[in-house]
Amino acid sequence: MKEKEGFIDYPEQQVILYVEKEDGQFGPMQTGSYISANFIDDFRNKRIALEIELRNQLISNLISPVRFYMVLEELTLSELSARSGICKSTVRKHLDPGGFAKATVKDLEHYARVFNISPANLLQVIMVHDGEQMVSQAIPENKIHTLSIHHSTTQNPFIVLTNIEEKK
Amino acid sequence: MVIPDFTHKMSAHCESGALTSLLNHAGLEISEPLVFGIASGVFFGYFHKAKAFPFPTFIVRNKPGQMRRNIEKRLGVEFAEYRFKDPALGMSRLDELISRNIPTACQVDFFYLDYVPSWERVHINVHFMIVIGKEEQQYIVSDAYFPKIMKLDERSLEKGRFAGGNMSPEGFLFHTRSVPEKIDLETAIRKGIKKACFNMLSIPMPFLGVKGIRMFARKVTEWPNFARDTEHLSHEIMKINILLEDQGTGGAGFRFMYATFLQQASSILRLPTLKDLSQELMLIGDGWREISLFAARIGKNRDLGAEKLGQLGAMIAGRADAEENFFRKLSKVVH
Repeated sequence: MKEKEGFIDYPEQQVILYVEKEDGQFGPMQTGSYISANFIDDFRNKRIALEIELRNQLISNLISPVRFYMVLEELTLSELSARSGICKSTVRKHLDPGGFAKATVKDLEHYARVFNISPANLLQVIMVHDGEQMVSQAIPENKIHTLSIHHSTTQNPFIVLTNIEEKK
Repeated sequence: MVIPDFTHKMSAHCESGALTSLLNHAGLEISEPLVFGIASGVFFGYFHKAKAFPFPTFIVRNKPGQMRRNIEKRLGVEFAEYRFKDPALGMSRLDELISRNIPTACQVDFFYLDYVPSWERVHINVHFMIVIGKEEQQYIVSDAYFPKIMKLDERSLEKGRFAGGNMSPEGFLFHTRSVPEKIDLETAIRKGIKKACFNMLSIPMPFLGVKGIRMFARKVTEWPNFARDTEHLSHEIMKINILLEDQGTGGAGFRFMYATFLQQASSILRLPTLKDLSQELMLIGDGWREISLFAARIGKNRDLGAEKLGQLGAMIAGRADAEENFFRKLSKVVH
């Protein structure tokens, strides 16, 4: 690939491409990510649509919060089991609301660590009024313009402080 | 504190980039493409069904960690390596190493790195970056994917280093222990090329090397069977572009970087044929890039019928033919 063909103006995500320079030498060039520069909105919209679909299943009690985050974070049953240290058959049960009801608080702590969320968020979805609509805070693709919500961990692994601040 | 004299440099790939930075810091002037080529980094593997992946996927480089082992073996460099069961011990060992001004590479799950934009974060346990200091509760990190030095919260690093699952990092750390005064670059390059050719042509597994590219070409038409819906299929098809171009490959699934290696190797070995082959691989890489762009386009347009996927498969099959021919020629040059 020639150097001029590889250049993408997208400072938010830079990559190194190896290209053919004008003198015929091959070498590195720092440039923007093609896929992010051209298709980031499509990616975000898909994520938001998936989150809404899964959230509707969650609040209709069709899936458990474990399945909600497992699908969002593109993990398999085996992978979630290996990462959480909870045996596969138990994780499988926890994917459905009935089985999830039997999960221990310790299980929730393990899942929360894998999903990088607070254990509290396995039992709630925080919705924020943003402009015309209510949006979920579960995925970063929902850029909430009015409020920032941040969980601070404490010495108690099961308790987080949910800090809600108005964005300036 | 930050380790003095460490030069942060952006690289195409995290593992070859981290290795290059550590070797440069230890006084060995070597480029990322040379590290990649000597380490036989170029590869292909297709996974149609695997427990660790929720959807069919492919890889375009050798097994994570293999580059380091190959560099050790072929350049005679010695790395100190550490694995931990106890996270507290793993974190304190890292603190100790950086307090002794030793830049230390860490293996982490990419998902937990706070400084990575949300759209890039995925659970992948084989990201490598170098810790070069610590200020209060934050580590100072040289991550080859970022133009600047980054800061990472202590707890996030611990989560990343001790994530479980497939290829779990187990707190893995490594740093350069010694670099030999004299390095036989010519032999190392020849061995690296021979092994790459073997990996691409002769591993007796139907999903690895050129055979893996052919399997990918055949099986991509079956991808709709794995998808929840069209949106999901679109997402996965567009990931072909990410895997080939964006996830630290230097473009065209490492083929551009390997072409650069061959050009540099041609001068070192005084073999003009390698220069011709580097040009040929650059063109093969252009074909991979066409596949990337095609995948992104049909994914975005949700134009994912049998005809388009068949077309995609045919383009991939074309790369298999081109690479088989290329690696056969390459193996003859170094034998």
